[in-house]
Amino acid sequence: MTPAMTTEFRAAGTDLSERRRSGVSKGPLMDIVPASDISGMNWGADGTLRIGAYTTIAAIAADRSIAAAYPGIAASAQGLATPQIRHLATLGGNIAQRSRCWYFRNPHIACLKKGGTDCPARSGNHLYHVAFDLGPCVAPHPSTMAAALLAYDATIITYTRSGLSIPDVLGDGSNGTVDNLLQPGEMIRGIELPKPLEGERAVYKRAISRAYAEWPLVEICARAVINDGTFQFIRLTAGGIAPVPLRLKAAEGAVQGKAANALNIEVAAKLATSGAKPLPMTGYKLDLLEGVVRDVLEKLAA
Amino acid sequence: MSTMTINGRVAPLPDDLDAMLIDVVRSDLDLTGTKLVCGAGVCGACTVLVDGAPVASCLMPARAAAGKTVTTVEGIGAEKLHPVQKAFMVHDALQCGFCTPGFIVEAAAFHDHWRATRGTATPSRDDIGAVLSGHLCRCGAYDGIFSAVAAACSGQFDGGDIVSPRVEARDKVTGAAKYTVDIRHEGQLEGVILRSEIAHGKIGELDFAPALALPGVGAAISLLAEDRIVRFVGQPIAAVAASDRKTALAAIAAIKMSSEKLPSVIGLDEARKPNAPVVFEKADRKKAGNVSEGGGSPAPWKANIRGPSAAFSLKPKLVRSWVESARQEKNPLLVEGVFRTGTQSHTCLEPHATVAHFEGDRLTVHASTQSVFHLMELIAKRYKLDHDKIRVIADHVGGGFGSKASLGAETTIAIDLARAANAPVRVAFDRHEELSVTGYRPASEVRIALLPSEQGGLKALSVTAYADTGAAINSTIATLARLIYPAEGKELADFDVISNLPPGAAFRGPGGPPMAFAVEQAIDEAALRMKVDPIELRKRWDTDPNRRRLYEWAQGLDVWRNRKSPAEQTGRYRRGVGIATGYWLYLWQPGSKVEVSVKGGRLIASTAIQDIGTGSRTVIANTVAREFGLEPHEVEVHIGDSKLPVGPGSGGSRTTASVVPPTLLAIQKLKAAIEKNAKRKPAPGSNAPWRELLAASPDLTASGVRPEDSNQTAPGVESPLKQVGILGWIFGKMMRWMSNMVIGAGVPSSVQVIEVEVDTWLGHVRVLNVHTGIAVGKIAAPALARSQAAGSVIQGIGYALYEAREIDGRTGDTLSGGLEDYRIPGIADTPVIDVHFDEAGFDHVLGGSVGIGEVATVPTSPAVANAIYNATGIRPMELPIRPDRLISALKGRAAA
Repeated sequence: MTPAMTTEFRAAGTDLSERRRSGVSKGPLMDIVPASDISGMNWGADGTLRIGAYTTIAAIAADRSIAAAYPGIAASAQGLATPQIRHLATLGGNIAQRSRCWYFRNPHIACLKKGGTDCPARSGNHLYHVAFDLGPCVAPHPSTMAAALLAYDATIITYTRSGLSIPDVLGDGSNGTVDNLLQPGEMIRGIELPKPLEGERAVYKRAISRAYAEWPLVEICARAVINDGTFQFIRLTAGGIAPVPLRLKAAEGAVQGKAANALNIEVAAKLATSGAKPLPMTGYKLDLLEGVVRDVLEKLAA
Repeated sequence: MSTMTINGRVAPLPDDLDAMLIDVVRSDLDLTGTKLVCGAGVCGACTVLVDGAPVASCLMPARAAAGKTVTTVEGIGAEKLHPVQKAFMVHDALQCGFCTPGFIVEAAAFHDHWRATRGTATPSRDDIGAVLSGHLCRCGAYDGIFSAVAAACSGQFDGGDIVSPRVEARDKVTGAAKYTVDIRHEGQLEGVILRSEIAHGKIGELDFAPALALPGVGAAISLLAEDRIVRFVGQPIAAVAASDRKTALAAIAAIKMSSEKLPSVIGLDEARKPNAPVVFEKADRKKAGNVSEGGGSPAPWKANIRGPSAAFSLKPKLVRSWVESARQEKNPLLVEGVFRTGTQSHTCLEPHATVAHFEGDRLTVHASTQSVFHLMELIAKRYKLDHDKIRVIADHVGGGFGSKASLGAETTIAIDLARAANAPVRVAFDRHEELSVTGYRPASEVRIALLPSEQGGLKALSVTAYADTGAAINSTIATLARLIYPAEGKELADFDVISNLPPGAAFRGPGGPPMAFAVEQAIDEAALRMKVDPIELRKRWDTDPNRRRLYEWAQGLDVWRNRKSPAEQTGRYRRGVGIATGYWLYLWQPGSKVEVSVKGGRLIASTAIQDIGTGSRTVIANTVAREFGLEPHEVEVHIGDSKLPVGPGSGGSRTTASVVPPTLLAIQKLKAAIEKNAKRKPAPGSNAPWRELLAASPDLTASGVRPEDSNQTAPGVESPLKQVGILGWIFGKMMRWMSNMVIGAGVPSSVQVIEVEVDTWLGHVRVLNVHTGIAVGKIAAPALARSQAAGSVIQGIGYALYEAREIDGRTGDTLSGGLEDYRIPGIADTPVIDVHFDEAGFDHVLGGSVGIGEVATVPTSPAVANAIYNATGIRPMELPIRPDRLISALKGRAAA
């Protein structure tokens, strides 16, 4: 029940402030100083891009060069939260944000991430939780940007380490007590994106009940290079369905090197749920996952 | 110390790491236009500009504003109104006004950017929907907001004077309007409540000493009854008043307390099990809350099941045997089904809030209430005070929807703390409290059987409803099925299923929407099986003259005439059109009194009514202005104060029908007095004779009391209770005696035709068009009535598609305690809404107007469901029709 009293870093506070107000977060705080090495964007001569952790989501969403080179990053940034959040929230904060699970966010309820011994969502109401049950905690990872960065093989730089992949930072879901594997006191400085592929395109899509401003039931960031009607390259990453962003390798395999036609797309969509382990209340997410994969592949193929 | 520049002046920022920008803006600088609603960055009510960019000030640490330029709503129109503010006023893009400052700030920033880059091009609905996607309005003013933002961006409000159809709109768009949460007296303390974390238990001794020892704590009180039993998570145990919220929360945490858990039972299914723990033993039943607008009737009550309330049945035994035979014979026309509806939270954006202030033996209560006068009476009764010692004030109320109709915990606790601390105390609920313990429309399970006769008539209707009322009673879902579609027999039974959940409360047409969701889909299904047009069938079975006119209108709509059958559609996106009917009772409050005066040549109308966003101020202003040939803004309207002549509560759609007739009577008397006292008659042929007379008139006052309606009514116009015979008569008398409401003749009615688009891949429903036909007599304030009608539809769409309180079924914790998990419609979910008013049917009411607030939301959820059926061939059996349910139904998978 008692959260560990380690110091929490605060960037814009769009996640942390709510937890401070509710009492879920009570420990010491440290404001991040937006020094130049963690702010802004730097394009490398080799076509790579480094984005400082303190860059706002709105800045990423509005950047034309990002939209041209990494359209999946731009679209994901445009699609998350609300305008008033995006103007404040930072890239580093988005990656390092805490779970949105309604048990975790309730200060009166114990859970694995708050020092408890079990996951109350697993045996309780997990309507919005994972459909790929990969570990003791069943809350989906909330970072839309992390799913997009995974699609681009981005690496994360901290003050002590660099070259970290998204799985290096967010884990594989087997540790239910944390939302990321950053060490105490370790802070994200920025991310590095490899040079985009020639002629690649990308699509981002989330399934929600309303039109906007809802945590995704399922979200996909999809990249593709299609030449002569064939998927030369495909990358599908999903959020909202697992404790960590997932690559949908089986679905990728179904279209990689194959014709971008309805039949192959349907096969890929069906394979998107390979390895899924839904909870009693989250079977619907598999249907949605299939639908979103179909949606993004059709858009890419169009 | 760091500083920011706010609205052009420099202001210091606190060093406190946990101080948010909104705290500085509202508390330190008293810029109360910026509102705190969700505290989680979801609703946008706290939006301010920081270096020109709209941000959520409830999440932004105050320290982060150092060196920056901040603009609040007060800074937007500081010198002259911004075009967006004027557009909101003219297009009536607001109702209760609590969300309005946030919308104004965001829309003004968008407007300025748009004009700089796009000139006077008109932004599309999609543009506006996207930019305002971080704002929520519970009244559903989105329709007006679309028009207002588009008009302002296209340059229509760049200059000139404007007239707003809503008399207080200027205060609401500038942030000047003061709500209860904005009231601050000298030395005022903040009250916070310690609530139960267990669903059922006995609380031991409370030790307040550690709380009282904290600096800044003024009082700590117990809120337990003698038995010290708590029956739901969130039940108040104790309260503390302290110099600020942070201190009060620390004091709450410091209270020492023991508790003993008792067996508990959560929700509809568990509470019906034979050996379920009992929530209210016989002696405690008076502690149950009330989910109805009236007092409720006696009913059997065994363990956790109260019911059946079946007084409105007609030949129920025959109905049972008819239905049973039809079942045996496999009669294809027998429609049967079990429909389920979700728990809908009122979600007022202004939380339940009260500021209590004793001065000697006089008590002033600012309260976010739906009834200033009745609240004063209830306080007087509870505290044994004379009426003239208590004053209840509510200048502006940020939404109510039924949840602020009685004496709530926020008020008694504020009063008790103010007494104990000997200081003014404010109690304002946080969002989790608001979404868990302030009441809700109970979820329900409605079993229906509908049997047409061989001749094509309606032979039998059986409706049995189990309502998930929590620690409350008096659900009337099945009962309401008596007052529409006369049949040879009706078997109607309502059951309250009581469990250890917070008590439900009356919510906009209590019982109406779940009844309509089941009955209107059963009618739709019957029409399909009988191969009759669904509107034709309603015309055949529904005898009410108001609705028959609305059916004629609906049949003429292109969208209805051009609809396709489910079989005609394939592919991912499918469109469907549905129809549904709704009604509500026409209620008015006897004794409602309005005073109209001329003072210094100006007209003033006064009554102790309140405006919760429905427009009661404007209804009165319009009525007076029309009779004197003036403009509404030339009439001063004094409301929101229990010292004024007794006014009606804002519940049961009764305000318009209660205040327009006495206003007209008062005007008649005042006119006579003015003419009698006039030294000079107006110039012959004057086009403004009353303006001349008023200008020269001495100060005069007249008042009117709500008269009985005329007995002369048009054919078929009668009290709906007539159908129930003597029992209906008794029910009507009980409503009058116990609840001070009269059920009048004529039935306020609504018929809606709704078009949806279903994304069959993602289980997503988009409502495209809504045609809402409404018969509530003459429209007293057209622009505002339109806003009410559109807002009712939008709230109905929320009920149909998104809204459901989610709980933990073991502990009784409310999980959807924030606005990200309790999902109300946003602007981009708003369809194109066409409102058709049929103004006949209420000529027996002086002024001809009755209320609109409830009837207009009743048919929305079944109309959406019938449209989804028309699109997909799938009958939605459960609300809300979320993607998880719809995709499961589309894929033939069992929903969770």
